[in-house]
Amino acid sequence: MGGPVCSRASSTSGRWSTSVILPLLPYFSFVALFLLVPTVVLFTKAFRPVTGSTTSAMVEAMNASNRSSFMFSLKLSLYSAVLGAIIGFLFALAASRIERPRRLRNLVTGFSGVAANLGGIPLAFAFIASLGAQGLFTRIMYHYGIDLYGAGFKIYDFWGIVVVYLYFQIPLMLLVMLPAIDGLRPTWREAAINIGASPFQYWRRVGLPILTPSLLGGTLLLFANAFSAYATAYALSSGGSRLVPVQIRFYLQGNTITGKGNLGYALAAWMVLILLFVMTGYLLLRRRAERWRTA
Amino acid sequence: MNKRRTTWEWPVIIVVGAFFIVPMLAMTRFAMQRVPMSLLGRDTIFSRWTIRGLMNTLTDDQFQPAFFLSVRLGIVTVLLVLALLLPTVLWLHLRAVQWKMAAEVVSLLAYVVPPIALVVGVSGAYRDTVPWIVSTNYGLVPLYAILCLPFAYRTLDVGFAALDLHTLVNASRSLGASWQQTFRKVLIPNLWTAILTTSFLAFAVVMGEFAISSLLLKRTLPTYMVEAQGREPQGAMGVALLLLVLTTVLFMVLGRVQKKSPTSSSQEIRMTP
Repeated sequence: MGGPVCSRASSTSGRWSTSVILPLLPYFSFVALFLLVPTVVLFTKAFRPVTGSTTSAMVEAMNASNRSSFMFSLKLSLYSAVLGAIIGFLFALAASRIERPRRLRNLVTGFSGVAANLGGIPLAFAFIASLGAQGLFTRIMYHYGIDLYGAGFKIYDFWGIVVVYLYFQIPLMLLVMLPAIDGLRPTWREAAINIGASPFQYWRRVGLPILTPSLLGGTLLLFANAFSAYATAYALSSGGSRLVPVQIRFYLQGNTITGKGNLGYALAAWMVLILLFVMTGYLLLRRRAERWRTA
Repeated sequence: MNKRRTTWEWPVIIVVGAFFIVPMLAMTRFAMQRVPMSLLGRDTIFSRWTIRGLMNTLTDDQFQPAFFLSVRLGIVTVLLVLALLLPTVLWLHLRAVQWKMAAEVVSLLAYVVPPIALVVGVSGAYRDTVPWIVSTNYGLVPLYAILCLPFAYRTLDVGFAALDLHTLVNASRSLGASWQQTFRKVLIPNLWTAILTTSFLAFAVVMGEFAISSLLLKRTLPTYMVEAQGREPQGAMGVALLLLVLTTVLFMVLGRVQKKSPTSSSQEIRMTP
């Protein structure tokens, strides 16, 4: 590595020249080996037919029973994303508007950083202890005459999982929205008020339109987050959930017996396609949202 | 805005806050109190608190291997992620700016391939050709590194972007420092916050990872917890609580470090030649 130490001009030298590419090889080949190759293999296996059938596993994966588990996963992700986005936005707005205990905001953001990363087994346990059939909250409610389980609520059913997911969805939304809310400049509000707008009109015509890309992007991020989650639902239901990832596990573990291993690959491939779609939308919206912050 | 104080903020904070606190309290009680739920009332609320359940599990001869396996996987993953990304991101900022876009997009791919699909793909691709990835404990490390890639890349990218890299490197090199010295004595100290953030996040991810290790039948801490839940629910709950406390402390320390050293301003740059 002799030559010029490092000059700005040298960075414009050939994109494909060996000296530029060589140090990047470890990174790109690592990703190729452990992410790209597995994904390609996943898709090639997914397009092969299931044993004893001529249709591709990708098609077979969308038959009645698998489609219903996709519907379950999608609906779960949608509900937890939309609810998480609305509550998270209100939470962020409230946290940004309260000024008096100055520590509150730090507390809320600090805690959100932790909670957004929780998920997994401990989270499932915490909710079994509070909203399970013998959970603390369930019993307190029962004491006051509200019988959650009598009303059909179960922690491992649809609404139970939605509630548990909100535990990491709300803080994630807060972390997405706080910078966006801080980006709303006081001068915009003042300008609107000066030309006679009410606070409601300000929000309808200025505030919300500016925040819309962040809100939609955040919702998509939450959707992807819920859609790829696995551990929490698995632990809540002791492995018996209808979620797509749990189905994948089922097909792959039974693959020698049923010959349906390719179905597992196909379900996973469908998950990747859906996430690709959602995450692309998220990245486009994020870029759109940043437009107001750089000016 | 200051004239008419709207009053919806506090109710929102309190209700959402309660939603976050109740599960933690319930978990603590479940892990440490030996009173059946049906008998819990005003007069029993303080009775029979014990950490025996937790101790039983901590001394369980399957707990420690699982716990230390997760710790070791966490450390090795952190090292791998840093070894892979630090030189790469440095190079991208220094001389290969044209490749930054490609590198970032590639790092984000891990968000598109969920852990369950990743493990399925990896076992499909390598089970017959490179079986150690699927069969040995440390085979988990590359997969965990992939999981960490998106946030690790972004954190380090932001860290490097905050430095006046060309000036730093030029100054250090023209003073006669070698590349290694520049890396060790100039860049690492200035990137300390970004490095620490990446390490903590990656470690936390590995300590909690379940999907991959469970599908590959590895006995890490999370898979152990699920399995122990059937045998010793109280102890498993205690371990989960411990893991939560550990994660929280980790993040609190991280918050302190991040607040103390804003990497953004150029005056803050430390050089230790």
